[in-house]
Amino acid sequence: MKYLSEYRDAGVARGLIARVRARATRPWVLMEVCGGQTHTIVKQGLLELLDGAVEMIHGPGCPVCVTPLEQIDKALRLAADPRVIFTSFGDMLRVPGSECDLLQVRARGGEVRVVYSPLDALELAVRHPDRQVVFFAVGFETTAPANAMAVWRARELGVGNFSILVSHVTVPPAMTALLSASDNRVQGFLAAGHVCTVMGWTEYEPIAARYRVPIVVTGFEPVDILEGIWMAVCQLEEGRHEVENQYVRSVRREGTVPARDLVSKVFQLVDRKWRGIGEIPQSGLGLREEFADFDAEYRFGLTAIQVEESPECRAGDVLRGQLKPFQCPAFGERCTPDHPLGAPMVSSEGACAAYHNYGRFRQARPAEV
Amino acid sequence: MCLGIPGRIVEIHDDRGLLMGQVDFGGVRREVCLAYLAGQVQPGDYAIVHVGFAISRVDEEEARRTFEALRELSQLDELDWMREVAERSLAGQAGPRA
Amino acid sequence: MAKRAVAPAPLTCPVPSIASDRVQLGHGSGGKMSAALLRERFLPHLGNPVLARLGDAAVVTIAGCEIAISTDTFVVSPLEFPGGNIGSLAVHGTLNDVAMMGARPLYLTAGFVLEEGLPFDLLDRVVRAMAASASAAGVPLVTGDTKVVERGKADGLFVNTTGVGLLDDAFRPGPDRARAGDAVLVSGPIGRHGMAIMAAREGIAFESQIESDSAALVPLVERLRLSLGREVHCLRDPTRGGMASALNEIAAASRVGMQLEEAALPVPADVGAACEMLGLDPLYVANEGVLVAFVPEALAPAALASLRSHPLGESAVQVGRVVADHPNLVVLRTAIGGTRIVDLLPGDQLPRIC
Repeated sequence: MKYLSEYRDAGVARGLIARVRARATRPWVLMEVCGGQTHTIVKQGLLELLDGAVEMIHGPGCPVCVTPLEQIDKALRLAADPRVIFTSFGDMLRVPGSECDLLQVRARGGEVRVVYSPLDALELAVRHPDRQVVFFAVGFETTAPANAMAVWRARELGVGNFSILVSHVTVPPAMTALLSASDNRVQGFLAAGHVCTVMGWTEYEPIAARYRVPIVVTGFEPVDILEGIWMAVCQLEEGRHEVENQYVRSVRREGTVPARDLVSKVFQLVDRKWRGIGEIPQSGLGLREEFADFDAEYRFGLTAIQVEESPECRAGDVLRGQLKPFQCPAFGERCTPDHPLGAPMVSSEGACAAYHNYGRFRQARPAEV
Repeated sequence: MCLGIPGRIVEIHDDRGLLMGQVDFGGVRREVCLAYLAGQVQPGDYAIVHVGFAISRVDEEEARRTFEALRELSQLDELDWMREVAERSLAGQAGPRA
Repeated sequence: MAKRAVAPAPLTCPVPSIASDRVQLGHGSGGKMSAALLRERFLPHLGNPVLARLGDAAVVTIAGCEIAISTDTFVVSPLEFPGGNIGSLAVHGTLNDVAMMGARPLYLTAGFVLEEGLPFDLLDRVVRAMAASASAAGVPLVTGDTKVVERGKADGLFVNTTGVGLLDDAFRPGPDRARAGDAVLVSGPIGRHGMAIMAAREGIAFESQIESDSAALVPLVERLRLSLGREVHCLRDPTRGGMASALNEIAAASRVGMQLEEAALPVPADVGAACEMLGLDPLYVANEGVLVAFVPEALAPAALASLRSHPLGESAVQVGRVVADHPNLVVLRTAIGGTRIVDLLPGDQLPRIC
């Protein structure tokens, strides 16, 4: 596939790995804040290939993992409602709520359907006027334009039986929260290439300046990730802390303006809980007042639901990069992808699930950790 | 929040006021919403598509140029590279891409 | 990388383990949940040495002859898809299961559960396809059954087929016979059936030319039998759960490890593209016209030549090898030299956006 396959070129990737290893005069600690990048890093076994030169900490870039427990519980309530066809991206279906997950609600008779696009959910609403169609609008800024458009179109076309359950989060506040923690070890960031495709990178400039960390906007294929790491390591070796763009084929400094415009017409910044981290002010998106009609929480009377997460759950430590998954006592035994205790074990690129596949093999070999 | 892949816009049409297009992904086709790239794309262009929406036009020129530079970067042998680094740090220059 | 010692803490993670008290869709996916369903709900009551082998077919002795019996139920939706329908699938699937044990399929049976309201012309197409597939394989359908259930209880049509075949003592592939030093061969491109079905799914649908690869693999198995006989250690058709599930099952049954080369996996361009779009891994996508064969490495060229001499096997390749290291683990070496474990998924592979 053009503009995809060449960024998997093994020769170029291996060359970049050699470069990074030779360039780094000491092991640098980098963080990627994007589930898709985590996925590539784990899938390609990059951690072991960069060992000694770069330590990658998987940041809270998995919107599935950071969706607060109370939003999952609201989703489960809606899915169990006989009036509702509950639609969602596939990623959310196995995330455990307080008592069960969406797949189990389906087993008990709830109508839960996977869709590829929020417009597919809207289409379902048009085709089933006798049912309420709710779409689980989860994601970072990348997905906000799609979800915004679904709501905008629903209003334009007068689709009254469509609503969304919102659980959007934004990246920069999370980065800032991580960087201001006293125990922060992260020295440089790979910024999420598709979040920045939409938003541009201007929000990261003050972060790089204030915390003196290089931030490289990076794509998702192995060559992209390795080039992004290369650029970050060069900055670190040279004592620079700028925002650079590796993903030039998709990202411009101003992002995709019409997308940002519609997102700000439909959504507004709100305070948001991040599962395992706690509340980060102004780190989420919620529907604006004039679109309250399309907010499933109002339509179905769920706004009062509050679920407290235990402050002792280790998932938070993992998401902030303080604990490696295999250091959690439950890892691999009480907590595995089959019966996950927390979200990072559920999502295919949640740090714990990633380590469960990748890490188990490494532990099985007589190598250093 | 990331799964976005490049596809080639094959045709563009209007669906009840919304700009849509048929996009080809290596032989597989899907309807994609092009509203956010209105006026910027035409059939033959490549776009990055996420959950059925085109979120950016692929800058093919930039892609070609930077990939070539990258290929070169990954091929310089060890000695050349070491010399280059030494020269650059002596001159206090910035990295390969500012 | 400095090792950070973490003092063992009493587990306080409050999110409860999800205990399930009923059947979920994932139990039918061919992954870990399916294995657990079998192990926990069926084997404790039904277990016997023949069943316990958990091969594609059961091997039993009747009047001094060794017979392979296999049964499979088909619930695919949509009933018709590019490359076939539930009828052809049902015939091919069971013929293949019998053949994977090394047996020559002789007879088939078919049981139908028809949903009230199923159009006759659709039923005709299904039955005609079954007849054509069975006839092409030279295996008659000798008995069957039909039931009708109320509207809404059967997704149109469910079919069960059972196949019976005759075993030859000199040809006994089995899931527990893979050995360190074996080559892992695959007879053709992977991922076609699953993606052809996915392309028709409401809410996901996309346009493609991808056709199901549903086919009877009997001729391929026959060629392997003639050229390698006893040296064919194991055969498996990687259906639900894909290559990954099949290889994991064999690794567990044979207590060996496996190493796959990503660059060698034969993924057709359009299957790959569709997987990219939905965030799916072709290793977990169902196949219905492909087989995996385990033969000693030295005999791999001969086995490949054999497979390639038939149209169904013309793009057969070696994709890996069996090793004594890391028993029960299937490991993939990526094109850039990294490694990752290819594990059984808990349930179905789901499209993702992350």
